Amino acid sequence: MELAASVILDTTLITLTLALAAFGLAIIYGLVGVINMGHGAMLTLGAYFTWAGLQLEIPFVLSVILGGFIVGLIGLLFEHWIIKRFYDSPYETLLLTWAFFLVTTELIKIVFGSDFRTVVNPYPGSINLGFYKIPTYRTVICLFTAFVILLTSFVFFKTSTGIKIRAMIQNREMASLLGLNISLTYKIIFGFGCFMAGLAGGLVAPMLSVSPYMGDMYLVRSFFVVIVGGIGQILSGTIIGSFVIGGLETIVALFSDQVIAQVAVFFFAIIILRIRPQGIFSEK
Amino acid sequence: MQNTLTKISGETKFEFLIFLALALIPLVFSGYILFILPQYMLFGLLAVSLSILWGFTGIVSFGQAGFFAIGAYAIGIVVKSNFLMNSAILGILLGIVFSAVVAGVVGYFLFSAKVKATYFVLATLALSIIIEQLAKSQKEITGGWNGLFVDRILINFGDLFEYSLFNDVPMYYFTLLLTIIAFVLIKFLISSNFGKILKGIRENEDRILALGYNTSIYKTLIFCVSGALAGFAGSIYGTHAGFVDPSLARVLFSTEVIVWVAIGGRNSIIGSFLGGILVASLANYLNSITPEYWQLIIGIVFIAVVILFKGGLAGGFEEIYYRLITKKYASARN
Repeated sequence: MELAASVILDTTLITLTLALAAFGLAIIYGLVGVINMGHGAMLTLGAYFTWAGLQLEIPFVLSVILGGFIVGLIGLLFEHWIIKRFYDSPYETLLLTWAFFLVTTELIKIVFGSDFRTVVNPYPGSINLGFYKIPTYRTVICLFTAFVILLTSFVFFKTSTGIKIRAMIQNREMASLLGLNISLTYKIIFGFGCFMAGLAGGLVAPMLSVSPYMGDMYLVRSFFVVIVGGIGQILSGTIIGSFVIGGLETIVALFSDQVIAQVAVFFFAIIILRIRPQGIFSEK
Repeated sequence: MQNTLTKISGETKFEFLIFLALALIPLVFSGYILFILPQYMLFGLLAVSLSILWGFTGIVSFGQAGFFAIGAYAIGIVVKSNFLMNSAILGILLGIVFSAVVAGVVGYFLFSAKVKATYFVLATLALSIIIEQLAKSQKEITGGWNGLFVDRILINFGDLFEYSLFNDVPMYYFTLLLTIIAFVLIKFLISSNFGKILKGIRENEDRILALGYNTSIYKTLIFCVSGALAGFAGSIYGTHAGFVDPSLARVLFSTEVIVWVAIGGRNSIIGSFLGGILVASLANYLNSITPEYWQLIIGIVFIAVVILFKGGLAGGFEEIYYRLITKKYASARN
């Protein structure tokens, strides 16, 4: 019983952390159809801005939010200058966002250097449940992730903004004929996705060491979260995808080493890509 | 008609001149350039392996470095374990066959289900990570993180003929010869009917399907050829560099190949080949003068090429060439 409970808690923590990292990607991919290869670099940027904020003695929470906003702003500019002209050609956006990754990573190396930085854990310690100790910080992050996803689904399903966005996904031309400002909506969604990526980067920074390539390990896994969960299913899909990818990796790692676990997950994801390209549990 | 004929022969002449120049270089230069140029030629072949996919069929692969690494490991492992007779040739052959098989299996698995082109990119990205991780973790076979040392090989056919590649000049000509053979074969393939169907798939896959061609087979085959070519280049790279390690399969290397091809010109075989040679040597040069900024410069050039010149350098040259020709014809007519 206690073992089961700790496994459930563990899986929940892993799922929600992965969901946090993948959320920005799921939004951009699912809603505006851009494969954002720059997602990893945006996570990294968020982590570095958080680190820089802490160096300026700005409190942690504020640093993370500021970092998210700056990354969101960079994303907006990137969209405005470059991406907006290429929404109809997925290859070009893929290459351009990858170029964003290359350039951003180099700029990070030039500005911050290549050595590892640490962001001090703002909430050290753990919550003792008697049979299991949950690290406090991870709990906070997971609650926050759950909150963000719930809030986004509220906006998405219960507000007029959400209705407009959903109308736009269903039929872009029709929505534009009805007077929706498509290019502005795209811009806002893209910016929000980048903001979420930056925020996630800042939030995971205390759990990892901050380095120019820290976002890479999240990039491909985030893609598979989105694909396994189903593109466009930004809310339930992200959770399900994170659960499958994170859970599978944890389970396989129990029987073999970490590397084999990752390889197994990637194999699994390629197979899902083929047999259920619409997502593992999606209808249609 | 006249125009296309002059264009074709113009391109072939240009290719001939490039290879002639490459063949004459050892007579003029010596030292480091003779050591490093074969490596760049192999990078050029790696670029060609992507251009036949991307430029001629409309499929982008983020996994070319994975095949390159398979080839390099194949020769490394074969030479190290000292299989009977001729381990060098066996290593190269195994490198080709093994990468072709991996490409074929993955390609057929995905193409037969009509997986979206952008999903295919992600699958090849995962493939290259899988290869890298396997290379890192299977220490007994691959040497893990430390990699493998590969001796320069000795080509021999019994007692009849022996050719050691230990010195730079023999290695240079050996690589050049194989590069030319591979290049000519690829040109032949692309100009054949098979190549025309590939271009048809790029332009309008549904139409080619409606004409009765099984496009997933064609896509699988070209992915096989592309993997085989990358594996071939990798296997020679293995013996040339004398060292193989997991970083050969890293995603960043795969994307370097994408940058070479984008800059060189994805629709031109010779353009991609030169893209590989020039961008790799430019990177090497910039690395020596501004180690901090060179990757940034190449990244910005890449963005500019993707936004402004879809055809890369080759496309640009072609346009200028056409303009000159039409001007000449125009003035001749007047």
